[in-house]
Amino acid sequence: MRQAGTYSGLLSGGISGRTGPHSLPLARIKKIMKRSGDDVKMISGEAPIVFSKACELFIEELTQRSWKMTMQGKRRTLQKEDVASAVMATDIFDFLIDLVSDSKDSMADHLGEVDTNMES
Amino acid sequence: MAENPASPAGGGGGGSHESGGEQSPQSGVREQDRFLPIANISRIMKKALPANGKIAKEAKDTVQECVSEFISFITSEASDKCQKEKRKTINGDDLLWAMATLGFEEYIDPLKVYLARYREGDTKGSARGGDGPAKRDSIGGVPGQNVQYALQGSMNYMNPQVTLFLKHTCRERHVHRNVWIFI
Repeated sequence: MRQAGTYSGLLSGGISGRTGPHSLPLARIKKIMKRSGDDVKMISGEAPIVFSKACELFIEELTQRSWKMTMQGKRRTLQKEDVASAVMATDIFDFLIDLVSDSKDSMADHLGEVDTNMES
Repeated sequence: MAENPASPAGGGGGGSHESGGEQSPQSGVREQDRFLPIANISRIMKKALPANGKIAKEAKDTVQECVSEFISFITSEASDKCQKEKRKTINGDDLLWAMATLGFEEYIDPLKVYLARYREGDTKGSARGGDGPAKRDSIGGVPGQNVQYALQGSMNYMNPQVTLFLKHTCRERHVHRNVWIFI
């Protein structure tokens, strides 16, 4: 008997191609890794696999932290401003500050104090 | 970590990654080379929200960019390490090290479990890690077919032996999150 739930696109690469049990396409991950720098030439087979899971954890964490911002605003739809707020409120997401403040200029004004104060 | 001259952590990630600074679709690089598919991102995001939660398209786009930046951020750090150690190939352990260095310690345990399952299940050649035996105790004795199922199941936390471990990890993360909320 086929186990549609387990082997359907929900857990594999979906319409983007067969990537086995990983929830994100490995070839794409590898391309993005190679774009990270000129020094990145050789990548072991298991590196994209690590990333497929790591990205999943990352997306979950970023989404959950963003959702808290949505809830604080008593809304039901997660907006990109919520993602920006979550990034600024979380130390380990500091590397994303430029990216989210590009898309939300008004937040840039708060960068300095939020960056250092939110953790306490 | 402090000795990394090119460490991207220093200036908040600014300027260390070319992919981060040039996110506009007009930069000449095909979108499929820069981002993971939005459908996959969206699916994982939805899984992290309550059933009644909705996500604006722009929020998905932002997270999509963030994920690529995350991959670059971690890869750059791992690449620096490989260069210092005069190795040419970035492997899974380099990435785990980079994540731990850059503050993503909480990901390490789930990733090790995931990687161990992959190494056990993958007999077709690409398992080059070689340090599987130590982990074999926890998941040994699972017949081939089941290994693959377990690998699938590990995402749903269905395998009993992993469940224990992951539950523990998740609980810790919950505690951590709760602390984060109330402080």
